[in-house]
Amino acid sequence: MREKLHPFHIAILIYMTQSGVVIFSLPRVLAQHMGYNGWIALTVFYVIVALNISLISLAYRLADGKSIFQIIEHFFPKIAVIPLYIFLLTLWMMIGCISAKRYIIIYQIFVFPTTHPMLIKILVDTLAFLLIIKGIYNISKAATVFFWLVIWTILLLLFFLHDFQWINLTSFYFHESSDIVTGSFRIFTAFLGYELILLLFPYAEKRKGVMKAVHIGNLLTFLTYILVCLVCYGFYSFDQLKRMKFPMLDLLAYIEFPFVERIENLIFSLYLFTSLIGIVMYCWSALEAAQRILPKANVKWLAAIIMAVAYVVSWVPTVLVEVDAWLQYLGQIEIGVAFGLPLMLLLFLLLQKRRDEPYIDYNEPS
Amino acid sequence: MMLLVMLLLIGCGDQRVLEKLGFTQTTSYDLDPNTEESSDDEKQGQQKLLISVTIPRTRTENSRELITATAYTSKEAKIKLSSQTELTIVSGQLRNTLFGLSLAKQGIWEHIDTLVRDSSISPRVKVTIVNGSAHELLSKDYSQHNRTGKYLDRMLEKEAISQTVPEITLYRFTRDFLDDGIDAVAPIIKQLDEHVSIDGIALFQGDRYVTKVEPDDTLIFAFLRGRFKNGEMSVDMSEVGRINEHIMFSSMISKRKIKIKTTSEGQHYHADISINVRGSVLEYTGKLSLDNVEHQKQIEKLIAEYIKLKTEEMVAMMQKNNVDSIGLGKYVRNKLSYEEWKNLDWRRIYPNIEVTCNVNVRIKDFGKFVNIEQ
Repeated sequence: MREKLHPFHIAILIYMTQSGVVIFSLPRVLAQHMGYNGWIALTVFYVIVALNISLISLAYRLADGKSIFQIIEHFFPKIAVIPLYIFLLTLWMMIGCISAKRYIIIYQIFVFPTTHPMLIKILVDTLAFLLIIKGIYNISKAATVFFWLVIWTILLLLFFLHDFQWINLTSFYFHESSDIVTGSFRIFTAFLGYELILLLFPYAEKRKGVMKAVHIGNLLTFLTYILVCLVCYGFYSFDQLKRMKFPMLDLLAYIEFPFVERIENLIFSLYLFTSLIGIVMYCWSALEAAQRILPKANVKWLAAIIMAVAYVVSWVPTVLVEVDAWLQYLGQIEIGVAFGLPLMLLLFLLLQKRRDEPYIDYNEPS
Repeated sequence: MMLLVMLLLIGCGDQRVLEKLGFTQTTSYDLDPNTEESSDDEKQGQQKLLISVTIPRTRTENSRELITATAYTSKEAKIKLSSQTELTIVSGQLRNTLFGLSLAKQGIWEHIDTLVRDSSISPRVKVTIVNGSAHELLSKDYSQHNRTGKYLDRMLEKEAISQTVPEITLYRFTRDFLDDGIDAVAPIIKQLDEHVSIDGIALFQGDRYVTKVEPDDTLIFAFLRGRFKNGEMSVDMSEVGRINEHIMFSSMISKRKIKIKTTSEGQHYHADISINVRGSVLEYTGKLSLDNVEHQKQIEKLIAEYIKLKTEEMVAMMQKNNVDSIGLGKYVRNKLSYEEWKNLDWRRIYPNIEVTCNVNVRIKDFGKFVNIEQ
């Protein structure tokens, strides 16, 4: 029997997929777009995501362990849904490869500034490839290990108690905010990753805890984000925060132990793991879609092809601004998918139910 | 296998060989003295900078390399500096930046900005002002001490622990400079014959040096600036009417609270600074007895009176120079709505606000020896 994902692993997998390098710039993005005390705005995004997850969990209950592909194909002939699959495949693949590129470009601000970024990307992609071909169960095991490697860094925030001043938070709320709509999309992308649970339906243990686990994963992401952002708002003055490219990296650079200082490079390398899981999960999702299009193809070769194509695509944007713009655009589409796909599934599932059992009241939650 | 070898070779792309690197430890910035006193025409244009860096060398304990260049920008200087040494200059180990007084009077933000931008430079790098020429101070070897860069760095760190000067790093300077409710400060040092000594605290308006707190008053400034522990102060009681009496007040723990009251007419602010100090007295010369409870109370009062007098004097001095170095603006800001604060010209209001300091002194102990009164 194939091993199934335990809710605990799902929570961690969701957390690891959601959080990535975004956290390094998130406080600044909040300051830019949400203004004074922008960290509070994170709560709103958390609630929206939680609602979206509830929507997905509704679909999950009705789906009863079927994969989203099965549900869709129940309604349409396969040939008709292939464009949708190709769309999803491309989207997920692109998000995977561009976020990898983003990590590397930021990494190069600090280390190996003159090495060609694509060389480093080979390394990251190789790691990702090796994980992907092992299947989702092993990915989640790796995610759990990486999780423990990274999560302790939150404790480093204690270091800033000394210089943290409540007075720096000011008594203004959301003043000097700008481009709230664009900003909201940018901030929302920081939470993306939870929607991939849609693909995990057939792999999860059939227990009630699955969706709760997704909520917990999301809550964990939210708590990490809000803690880091709160500390940034209290540690820096507002105008300073607005001008810092990567406030969290500066936070880390400020840490000094009697035996070591300038640990930001070490910690940033650790964040490779959270980014890696994000990359892996998106590419794995792309692979799932690809397998649906070509069910008979060899999985390893398919994965290799996806990674190779992703690699080639990521040659195109070369500087951070371009990469950010791409990722922004892709993120917006993905937000659409995160809401649209479960809605579509719900619609199909309800229709299907009506067709199969025509006399039951469908408004009753099952 | 080939692939593996290739992958591993990627790591050789960006090499940093320790022996070939020159880790700068201290950088000094001055206006170039040759152009400083030139005609007014030139003054309007950009002025040249004199920039020096020290690189510790390992040949002997105190050996170091000092290189100097003049240039219009600090990055240009870096290229010129680099052409004078066989080492690759890197700034990852930079500890201290010294700014000459004449440059500080013109503004140092553009240099700080360059430093903050550079990812290899730690936000903990110190910002220090030199009363005089930073280059001269840095280029001299002080035979009784460590190599100059290290000597300065350690001295400033030690002094910061005893509250004589605030520890001002790039991060703190930038934070206060970019905050509209506080003005930045930095320690100021000067060169003596065989030593370097603390010369007080430089007070900035924006990024320009305006005035300084005298070295004897730095602790009074510490009371105003925030909470601290571990300070030592000599109280000259003649200031509070007792001639020829002195108290050494040590092991101090001080807390500061600021309350702002607005009067009904609006734009009239009253700042209440309450300072709570606890400490011990081990030395006293004068007529009172350290072991008499009544007298102890009296001593507490006298010290409180002294601190109150001194802090209010200092606030008045800062108001006169229009530098809000203790950050009253932050507290006023929190009293106001966003629109009110933005419409308020804090620089204009600040010199005229009323400030009172309330000081409460508690003496924890009077040492471990008692004089029995005969």
